[in-house]
Amino acid sequence: MLLELHHIEKRYGGVAALTDGNLAVAPGEVHLLLGENGAGKSTLMKIIAGIVERDAGQMMWQGREVHLKTPSEAAAIGISMVHQESLLAPHLTVAENLYLGREERLPFGWVRRSRMMEAASRLIAEHGFPLRAEWRVEKLTPAGKQLVEICRAILHGSSLVIFDEPTSSLSGSEAAEVFRIVRTLRERKVGVIYITHRLDELGSVGDRVTILRDGRTMHTGPLVELTTGSIIRHMVGREVSALYQRNPLPPGEERLRVEHLTRRGELSDICFSLRAGEIVGMAGLIGAGRTELCRALFGVDPIDAGRISVGGRPVSIGSPKEAVKAGLALVTEDRQVTGLALRLPIAHNITLANVTAISRFGFLNGNAQNTAAADFIGRLRIRAGSPHQLAGRLSGGNQQKVVIAKWLFRQAQVFLFDEPTRGIDVGAKAEVFNLMDELAREGAAILMVSSEMPELLQVADRILVMREGRITGELPGRTTQEEIMRYAALETQPVSEERP
Amino acid sequence: MSQPAVERTEATPVPAKRGRERIVLQRLLPFLSLIILFVALAISSKHFLTNTNLSSVVRQTAVINIMALGMTMIIINGGIDLSVGSILAMGGLLGTMAMEMGLSIPAGILAGIATGLLCGLANGLMITQLRIAPFIVTLGTLGIFRGTALIISNGLPVHRIPQRFSFLGEGNVLGVPFVLWILVACGLATHVVLEHTRLGRYTFAIGSNREAAVYAGIPVKFHTTAVYAIGGMLTGLAGMIEASRLMTGQPTAGQGYELQAIAAVVIGGGSLQGGEGSVVGTLIGAFIMGLLSNGSDLLGVSPYLQQAIIGAVIILAVTLDELRKRGTASA
Repeated sequence: MLLELHHIEKRYGGVAALTDGNLAVAPGEVHLLLGENGAGKSTLMKIIAGIVERDAGQMMWQGREVHLKTPSEAAAIGISMVHQESLLAPHLTVAENLYLGREERLPFGWVRRSRMMEAASRLIAEHGFPLRAEWRVEKLTPAGKQLVEICRAILHGSSLVIFDEPTSSLSGSEAAEVFRIVRTLRERKVGVIYITHRLDELGSVGDRVTILRDGRTMHTGPLVELTTGSIIRHMVGREVSALYQRNPLPPGEERLRVEHLTRRGELSDICFSLRAGEIVGMAGLIGAGRTELCRALFGVDPIDAGRISVGGRPVSIGSPKEAVKAGLALVTEDRQVTGLALRLPIAHNITLANVTAISRFGFLNGNAQNTAAADFIGRLRIRAGSPHQLAGRLSGGNQQKVVIAKWLFRQAQVFLFDEPTRGIDVGAKAEVFNLMDELAREGAAILMVSSEMPELLQVADRILVMREGRITGELPGRTTQEEIMRYAALETQPVSEERP
Repeated sequence: MSQPAVERTEATPVPAKRGRERIVLQRLLPFLSLIILFVALAISSKHFLTNTNLSSVVRQTAVINIMALGMTMIIINGGIDLSVGSILAMGGLLGTMAMEMGLSIPAGILAGIATGLLCGLANGLMITQLRIAPFIVTLGTLGIFRGTALIISNGLPVHRIPQRFSFLGEGNVLGVPFVLWILVACGLATHVVLEHTRLGRYTFAIGSNREAAVYAGIPVKFHTTAVYAIGGMLTGLAGMIEASRLMTGQPTAGQGYELQAIAAVVIGGGSLQGGEGSVVGTLIGAFIMGLLSNGSDLLGVSPYLQQAIIGAVIILAVTLDELRKRGTASA
């Protein structure tokens, strides 16, 4: 074996990220690592790549136990990682980034630019990437940056390359090139660990599979022995379905109607409606335009054409301020960036979108604020010491509940949830679903964007599917993942064409 | 002053029980340092506790203090205003020129305040409408306002001012310098605005997370502009007090004051990243600097060394504050 991990444990403060991580990779093997968000995949990879240190357990590299303390130690023994988020220097060129930290050593720190450019250009041409060595990285799209990361990993000729969701920002043809690179690495007897969320691409790259759940390795074995169903069972377990049960009421009057909404380059001709008491799921691959739709509806990005009506009345939404006024609420996918003021107390966050309700003539009524905050903390079972605790010190699930409480206090009628369960644990997920169910019962209309298909199947009354900025299908709530994928996947699917 | 202290603790997270005393102590540290400094100076110099000296400390500090109140709001909002020294000169100059042209003293003072307000408004509009970083905009207006003051006055100070105008900066009411009453009134008003009004709440929210404030439907641009305008208004008032103390309208007044105002906010626990700061903290910060400078004068410390001491105090205060925050974060 090239790499073996036994019983790896890792805690961050009070949170256990890994309790029993096991993984073995052979040379020339493509090993798929699967698991839900927060299952511990990234932590396990960071331990292998020397970014974080393990608390307990064994890591064997080519038969010898190793303790990696820095990424450069990992690189020295032949481990490199293609990161999901770009770790590139934006103001430098592609070539400079490829050789960053590994420039030829010349006197006075002199850099031989032309030679570096040449080598980089050759590598890019070899793989047919749409890149140029002299381009500045800041001008690249996320996909372009991802390709630079990949070039960097293969350039430094490692024995083990880790890919962390490399295709999440890539188009079909670019993804096909990534699969080709992975196969080339396999032929060269390089070990590959490949993390992905896209169950559709498993067959095109993988040999063996390890599935993590809640910080433990649940299953390891050859890919051919698994079906999509058994993979999901290992990934999700039974907990969520046991904790959450949706009992839809018959939908009421129309709350939101969207007609021919278009935003050039992102959204084209979007039409749908939401009715009171409904939870409508929104499925699609990453980059299909679901987040862009939420942003456009909420007035963050301007629209080029289309009509939006809320509660039967046409509205013009040019800013989040107008969206909030119209009765819309957006629970964003990155709550720490756009949802919460982390350095302010919970009470301030809950009342933030409706300060008018706790003030008179511009003066705040502290009692009204505290009563409202305490009420929501109780109702939503937010685990906090007091309403004055800073929002930044809550766990992910409780932070999400504070965001939801903010919109409840605003008495919003139409809720847009963008990846509402991202980065929160299984128990909190069920609580968020129950909250959505309760909201719907009280007459709100809910649009729920999620990349986790099992989640959509469980929660949504009907499911809209987006692809390349359009709505390509509408399915009943009790559909299947395969059916959703039929509408979500690219028509010209290079993945299946090139299946070995 | 006990009311503001309660407000501060209310906004803090509930700490672990064993760390509570330590945290309360750390939070009171700036206040304790001010008292220790006061007592130390009272013991080491017999001139310190005299009425004349204390009044002069208050009068000297009041100008910076009133500017620093506006700066507190701006810094909590997540911004900064480097142009306050120039705004101070503009306010003082135009206010005294108005009196020179025959306006009454109150009208002249109002003119000075209005000038400051307009300058602050210009800063705010440029920051929110042109979407340029506050540091850059106010670095630019630092030059523009100063240049404008010099052009208007042709570089010459305004001298023909009614004698009674000196009351603003030098007069006493009930045996206490008039500027102290003004400072207390402005401090209370700023505190109430920050802690008990919608504008204050939005200021904290915008400074803590501007994006989240936008997504919550808050009119971020309007409130940001308002904060700069209020800051300018207070600076205009400070400019009139400065003019009254000097009994001239100086186009060169207030140079370098912006750094003292920022230092007062920062010593008082304000964070340049926004979302943190308090009126009480800022007042303490300004008085610590005022006492240091007065004490150095009394004890015959060289003015060159004084500057270095104040610089070191800024770094020390912020370091202690950072340590406190890290301490509470890990508790």
